[in-house]
Amino acid sequence: MSRAAFCTILISLWVLGDVAAATSMADSVVRIAAVGQNPDYKTPWNPGEISSGVGAGFVVAGNRIMTNAHVVSNARYITVSHEGDPRPYPARVQFVAHDCDLALLTVEDPRFFRNTKPLEFGGIPAIESTVSVYGFPIGGDRMSVTRGVVSRIDFQPYSHSGVDSHLAIQIDAAINPGNSGGPVLQNGKVIGVAFQGYSGDVAQNVGYMIPTPVIRRFLKDVEDGKYDRYVDLAISTFPLYNRAARGALGLPDNDIGVFVGDVYGGGAADGHLRRGDVLLAIDGYPIASDGNVLLENDGVPLAEIVERKLLGDKVELEIWRDRQAQKVSFPLSSPWPFQMQSTQYDLKPRFVVFGGLIFQPLDRNFATAQNPQNLRLRYLFEHFISDHLYKTHPEPVVLSGILADPINAYLSDYRFGIVDEINGAKILRLEDVAEAFAKPEDYYVIKLLGEGRPIVLERKEVEAARDRIRQRYGVRFEQNLTP
Amino acid sequence: MKRTLIVFLGLLLTLSARAGTTPPAPTPAPSPTAVASPASVVRVNSTNQNFDFFRPWQKKLPFSRRGLGAVIEGGRVLTSAELVANHTFIELETASGGVKSAATVVAVDYETNLALLAPTDPDFLAKSKPLGIDDQARVGDRIELLQLESNGSLATTAGTITTITVANYPLDQIALLVFRVSLPLQFRDQSFTLPAVRNGSLVGILMRYDTRSQTGDLVPAPVIRRFLSAAVHQPFENFPRAGMSFAALRDPQLRRYVGIAPDAGGVYVTEIVQGGPAQKAGLQEGDILLKVGEYAVDSDGNYEDPVYGRIPFSHLTNTVFPAGKTVEFTVFRNGKTVNLPVELEAPDPKSIISENLVADQQPRYFILGGLVLQELSRSYLREWGPDWKKEAPQRLVYIDEFQREQAADRGKVVFLSQILPSDLAIGYDELDHVIVKKVNDRQIRNLDDVAEAVKTPINGYHKIEIEEDPGVMYIDADLARDQEKALLDQYQIPAASNL
Repeated sequence: MSRAAFCTILISLWVLGDVAAATSMADSVVRIAAVGQNPDYKTPWNPGEISSGVGAGFVVAGNRIMTNAHVVSNARYITVSHEGDPRPYPARVQFVAHDCDLALLTVEDPRFFRNTKPLEFGGIPAIESTVSVYGFPIGGDRMSVTRGVVSRIDFQPYSHSGVDSHLAIQIDAAINPGNSGGPVLQNGKVIGVAFQGYSGDVAQNVGYMIPTPVIRRFLKDVEDGKYDRYVDLAISTFPLYNRAARGALGLPDNDIGVFVGDVYGGGAADGHLRRGDVLLAIDGYPIASDGNVLLENDGVPLAEIVERKLLGDKVELEIWRDRQAQKVSFPLSSPWPFQMQSTQYDLKPRFVVFGGLIFQPLDRNFATAQNPQNLRLRYLFEHFISDHLYKTHPEPVVLSGILADPINAYLSDYRFGIVDEINGAKILRLEDVAEAFAKPEDYYVIKLLGEGRPIVLERKEVEAARDRIRQRYGVRFEQNLTP
Repeated sequence: MKRTLIVFLGLLLTLSARAGTTPPAPTPAPSPTAVASPASVVRVNSTNQNFDFFRPWQKKLPFSRRGLGAVIEGGRVLTSAELVANHTFIELETASGGVKSAATVVAVDYETNLALLAPTDPDFLAKSKPLGIDDQARVGDRIELLQLESNGSLATTAGTITTITVANYPLDQIALLVFRVSLPLQFRDQSFTLPAVRNGSLVGILMRYDTRSQTGDLVPAPVIRRFLSAAVHQPFENFPRAGMSFAALRDPQLRRYVGIAPDAGGVYVTEIVQGGPAQKAGLQEGDILLKVGEYAVDSDGNYEDPVYGRIPFSHLTNTVFPAGKTVEFTVFRNGKTVNLPVELEAPDPKSIISENLVADQQPRYFILGGLVLQELSRSYLREWGPDWKKEAPQRLVYIDEFQREQAADRGKVVFLSQILPSDLAIGYDELDHVIVKKVNDRQIRNLDDVAEAVKTPINGYHKIEIEEDPGVMYIDADLARDQEKALLDQYQIPAASNL
């Protein structure tokens, strides 16, 4: 499962090629300074460390600034500035899309937009054509421009969320921290937003930008005043060029059709497709046996058809089931189970402290902070989707820490256990834990998955220890259930 | 916390162990005049060749190990199982004189890491002095570890038994009595497995030694005795178990919750092995185990052993009592005391889902249209190296680790270990270590089921159902049969299966 680690880098680039336009474009490129505060999932009641960073952005229609989501994630205070105006202006996030690493900012002071011109978007650049990247690599106040060639257009993981893949364009211009959010220009139009690259020890001269289909989709999604996230079929597909498989399924040997390997609960296709179906066409585009469709003369994964749609849009599929072709159609949605494996931002950690025991939901933020080696917990996290564990454990709750006190002196072995029941009630999410502890009982009996010995806390002991633990460990509040 | 674990072969030295400096003679030593003699030890030279679980049709490079064996009564040599695991040839050699004989393995038990060898030459041990076994050693006793110098004389290292407890044995499969000894050891002549003696009698065999802290663990005489008495049976009968797990019961809140007095001792029963002795006797999760036979169990799970002091009660159920013996367990349940007779038995190897160690036999496999199917074992997972728990496929590691949570009739876990690419299996190459559920609609509980199932393809195709995405694969049955030989030749594989 090891993927080459993506290093997200801030980039912004100028197009040098277009000298006439250069002046006004430079004025439309914005330096963004963001002060962020990243929550601490180890001591979730604490506000977290304050950090600052610099990124790039550019002015788009409607007096707004487009940048990367990761430039303004967890931000507490954002200022923007551009060449030709000495002062920084406070800005705020209007929309942020963590699943495609884009954000829109607004600036209240209209003076900021004097001498700026909204940049316009172009299409997908040709392979081998030259583009220019504008930004503030490795900090600095003055804008920097680099030029590169379009190397490849492909689906790529977007490292900001860790789970999403979309179309991305690879260029050979260096993309460094500070470039993020900057425009990539060709012939005076924005054809991408620089967003990530590899660290030097993985690959060199490889930078990635978000192409305009993704940008346009984001702009369209937020037209109604809120961002709904990407929609997905929530299925897995498997290539179908094995002739025995085709024969057994009664398919002609024509290289059309891809096998539905799994359908995930809570997703759009749940109830419409099932394992063993063969997808023959999507919205009229025939699906090749490797899962690609021909779109604008390019073979792209069939997901690209879905990618361009919005919440509630329908998809039409032609499928092969029980040796017969059928049509199905259903509206698209964002599957909830995948959120658990994605890095999340702009949230307050949820937790419950009781008797010095800290309970937290298992998700990527938690796993990244705590890096637990516990095999059961790792399995639950990594196979949450593939083994359909979300069905029985929609939100696994972990006994994530123990604030040592006489009341929990015998419990240190149970750290990183997963809460199964409290006083006989199944624990499906963190709220259930809070609810169970809110009921006045003499004993609170906590069962952990795979542990035969229950954890028992006596109410009178918990109450006696409460202030002592809070003061000793500086627990500012004992629970937070709202993200 | 990694320790250098070294397993030694036993040397036998009758050392004038009484060398007097010891504390007031705890127990009468068997023969006070005994001194270790080189005639009580032999060198064991074993050439071993491990199987390659990634290529189950072949063996890895052969290698040799030298160790020591303790000569015991009956013309047998006691050594460690690890020394002779996957052996191709074993040779015994007298300490001096260099007389040699080939040897066969009479009994081997990887759980206790002990092996019993017999020389093929009946006269080989004629001049040897068999060691007696002394199971009365206690904490504080002086012992001596025996090694052989290259000239055949004995090198002895004196040490002290510092702790007697029950601890996990190298395979991590069973916890048995160990003697922890403290002594400064310098290894001679690459010896592997060293006997420890007291007053000229065998008290244990060194199974691991940590050079930094200069402490070692002995497989002690009681375990050796138990092994020897089990070794008379063919096939070897494993050590019995009660078939339950427990947790300490010191937490006063938990004690009050279950309603047991603070000073009543007892441990909390956390798990009952399905089909095991404890389950048959009616023990339940949540019972408080108070007594095993006549012995009261304290809240840490220890009892007062007449010889060894406070040690975990599993010594009683694993070692002291033989399989077949019925022992009364006294438990506290719902405020009452209940007596349950537990008939101890060794676990049935057929019920094991993932074997801990597959040794001395070729791993089983079955090739179907280029799909290589194997049965899950920890030996397979260990091929990923020391970090196998992280490196090996996580779902398999998980099943192996928590196999007791699988359904009791789960059978072996048959999985796709690799694909020999050809036209037959093209398109399946992204599948990685998926678990086979059914073949041609037949439930798969081991590789024999697969062999049986492939006899009845469905409409000319083998339908292979797997637990993971995409759920099913198909192989053309006629082509698989017709091309099998060519495929095996192409990858130079001698046989399509080993069952």
